[in-house]
Amino acid sequence: MSFGGVRHFTFLYEANTLAPGSLELENWITWQHATGTGRFDQVDFRHELEYGVTENFQTSVYLADWFYQNDREHSGFAYSDTALELIYNLTNPVVDPVGLSAYCELKGGDRLIELESKLIAQKNLGPLILAYNTTLESVWEGNDLSERESEFSQAIGASYEVSPRLSVGLELLHEFVFLEWRDEEKIRNLLVGPNVSYRRQNWFVTMTALAQATDTKDEPDFQLRTIFGIAL
Amino acid sequence: MNQISNCGRSLELLCEMRRLAIWIMAITCLVDLSSCGTTSFTPPPVTVELVRNGSDPHRDIAMLSEGRALFVHRCIECHTLPAFWRYSTEDWPKIVDSMAHRSNLRPAERDAIVAYILAVRGQ
Repeated sequence: MSFGGVRHFTFLYEANTLAPGSLELENWITWQHATGTGRFDQVDFRHELEYGVTENFQTSVYLADWFYQNDREHSGFAYSDTALELIYNLTNPVVDPVGLSAYCELKGGDRLIELESKLIAQKNLGPLILAYNTTLESVWEGNDLSERESEFSQAIGASYEVSPRLSVGLELLHEFVFLEWRDEEKIRNLLVGPNVSYRRQNWFVTMTALAQATDTKDEPDFQLRTIFGIAL
Repeated sequence: MNQISNCGRSLELLCEMRRLAIWIMAITCLVDLSSCGTTSFTPPPVTVELVRNGSDPHRDIAMLSEGRALFVHRCIECHTLPAFWRYSTEDWPKIVDSMAHRSNLRPAERDAIVAYILAVRGQ
């Protein structure tokens, strides 16, 4: 059993990939809370199996993504989707000017197809890790998959290693949402908040709390994500 | 009315571009910090002098190069890289041993990492 790796962020990916042969299970829980007239609570669950294929390439399967939603009209659990993810590491965050990785994810579910790609950038400066992700996401959903949405987002994060087991930091997320692949509604979201990561022998837990700095209706005002990873 | 709404859209686009430019400048500045006193954290490249610097007759450029590559790739999966001077030459082999299984290192890979660290530490 070998430990794949630790996440220092929950809303950003890091550029380094797992060692060949490493297998890790990560469980994600994201609580989203919206206030006001469109008040709702939603808790999303993801279960990810990560595997290091080569020194620079890893693959993951997101087993059943599911969620619990509670709003004015209904509440209950539902299955969302299953996904396949590929990450290829191009450069190293320590010895190269910037560590870069390319990311691709294909998600399929009940009347849902989603394609996501990212460019992951990271720089390690001693005990400080800086990360930047830029993401383009396209969604087809609904009957006949006729409803379309896309999202361009960028995220930046900083994590400082306080001790060999503990890191603290910040994450910032900036989203551009295009309903029906148009920018008529000018939906822009900015979320920011702190994170903390703790690791032991073969497991880690990382948590991020984000608050919405913009005022977009129907978007969560607050999100809390926890990722728990363990070597298999 | 069209002119006014066009002005509004142009201003909005300008604001978005300005925000993006600030992001790019901030990232560039942060990356540039790597040249401001933090280069001591960048593991030095393998040179002939590094190979010669030490008493281990079995290490060569290939071994030290593999050690460096593994050190900067495998070790950062879990934590940032500590400075070489933080631990003694007696401590480093034990530290690598304690984490070798966690990072899926074969014995030869473990030896390469230790050889590289001790070569740098001995400079």
